[in-house]
Amino acid sequence: MAATPIPLEARGIKKRFGNHEVLKGLSLEAHKGDVITLIGASGSGKSTFLRCMNLLEQPDEGELIVHNEAIHFRATKHGREPADWKQVERIRAKLSMVFQNFNLWSHMTLLENVIEAPVHVLGKPKKQAVDEARALLDRVGLLERADYYPTQMSGGQQQRGAIARALAMDPEVMLFDEPTSALDPELVGDVLKVMRGLAEEGRTMILVTHEIAFARDVSSQVIYLHQGVAEESGPPAEVLDNPRSERLRQFLAPKH
Amino acid sequence: MIDLQGYGPRLLDGALVTFELAVLSLILAVILGLLTASAKLSRNRFVHGIGTLYTTLIRGVPDLVLMMLLFYGGQIGINMLTDQLYYAFDIDIFINVNAFVAGVITIGLIFGAYMGETFRGAFQAVEEGQMEAARAYGMSGWLAFRRVRFPLMMRHALPGIGNNWMVLLKTTALVSIIGLTDMVRVAAEATKATHEPFLFMLPVAVIYLLIATLSEWGFARLTKRYNVGFGESSEWNN
Repeated sequence: MAATPIPLEARGIKKRFGNHEVLKGLSLEAHKGDVITLIGASGSGKSTFLRCMNLLEQPDEGELIVHNEAIHFRATKHGREPADWKQVERIRAKLSMVFQNFNLWSHMTLLENVIEAPVHVLGKPKKQAVDEARALLDRVGLLERADYYPTQMSGGQQQRGAIARALAMDPEVMLFDEPTSALDPELVGDVLKVMRGLAEEGRTMILVTHEIAFARDVSSQVIYLHQGVAEESGPPAEVLDNPRSERLRQFLAPKH
Repeated sequence: MIDLQGYGPRLLDGALVTFELAVLSLILAVILGLLTASAKLSRNRFVHGIGTLYTTLIRGVPDLVLMMLLFYGGQIGINMLTDQLYYAFDIDIFINVNAFVAGVITIGLIFGAYMGETFRGAFQAVEEGQMEAARAYGMSGWLAFRRVRFPLMMRHALPGIGNNWMVLLKTTALVSIIGLTDMVRVAAEATKATHEPFLFMLPVAVIYLLIATLSEWGFARLTKRYNVGFGESSEWNN
């Protein structure tokens, strides 16, 4: 067993929807401080792969190991599912996800959103959670919006708020599912700035994105997916600047 | 002052019966409604079938007929059960179906079906991403229901619940048929004795109206509470 536990390891993840196999055996290892970026055309399986990591989708085959703890599965007549949902809940609390559509809880203020899981899932005292939440909101530049509801904020503000919510869990790994895809172009920059700060302070991150320039700047590893297969993988200088396959070259070529 | 010819206190007692019957039936209906909605949203075919059977049966049969069936049928069923207990185990008990309890169960059962439809639509109206976020942050099923799904659902369900409550309140008048002394029955008896229908039926109408008006106010407050975070957003957007 390694001296320092690996925050997240996925081995041979396979997933099918009906007869369509969307993930054909994908693996990755996120070491502490890694920023792993998944790129690929829509339908390549990158979001599904990410969602398998916190079991929002159940992988049909393969192993998931979070901080040295392997997730237990059992076979049912509908396919494989986690054997112990308590274990899944515990592990999910270590893997904060940032969604494409933010998914801030709409009946809670921004501050309530940020303290919700720390208080009710981790059991933190409310006072402490509020203090920490305020510091995080300050960090993402939203302290004066603490008492606003999500519908009262722009998309960019909501996404920065969602990042504060993710940080409040002090997660082992942060999962970003196309965090800027639903934003107006002029709002993308603020969100990327916050994410760049996280990468620089050594957060372990797994990121699905279409922002190739950003991926080149912050990633330690880039994985190019095509039809559920990792076609190319390596440091950004290799994968993004010297793509081996014609398909990846095409994918990276400027579209307009 | 109107002279209720000595029927005043009985009328008030009847009003209390009506109110208690309505509130208890509402509570039962809400519980049954939540269960029915869960059943009808279940992927389990058997559970789904039970939910569908229940709502179809209840909504397709007149309330009055259901009430008679449950009241008399319930008594017959219980008698058969106690007879069996007597023959098999020599246990001799007699359970009389209490009209109040029968009323609560019947009205609760009827409106549970309507509430079920209300809740089902309301649950479906909750954005899937909201629950996904709850799961992704490690919430257990119950915690996610309590903190996220239920409050978000209520926003959509409240108008329907309010409607059902108004109809339910008026349906309680049917229980006088099975012998429960609610305010309608008191008023009917008083009318028979005195031949003054308006003297008794008008106060009854006013009391129903009063309860209805008070509940409108209550529902308005609940609506405000569950609408928090929605609407009137444009002025804040920037």
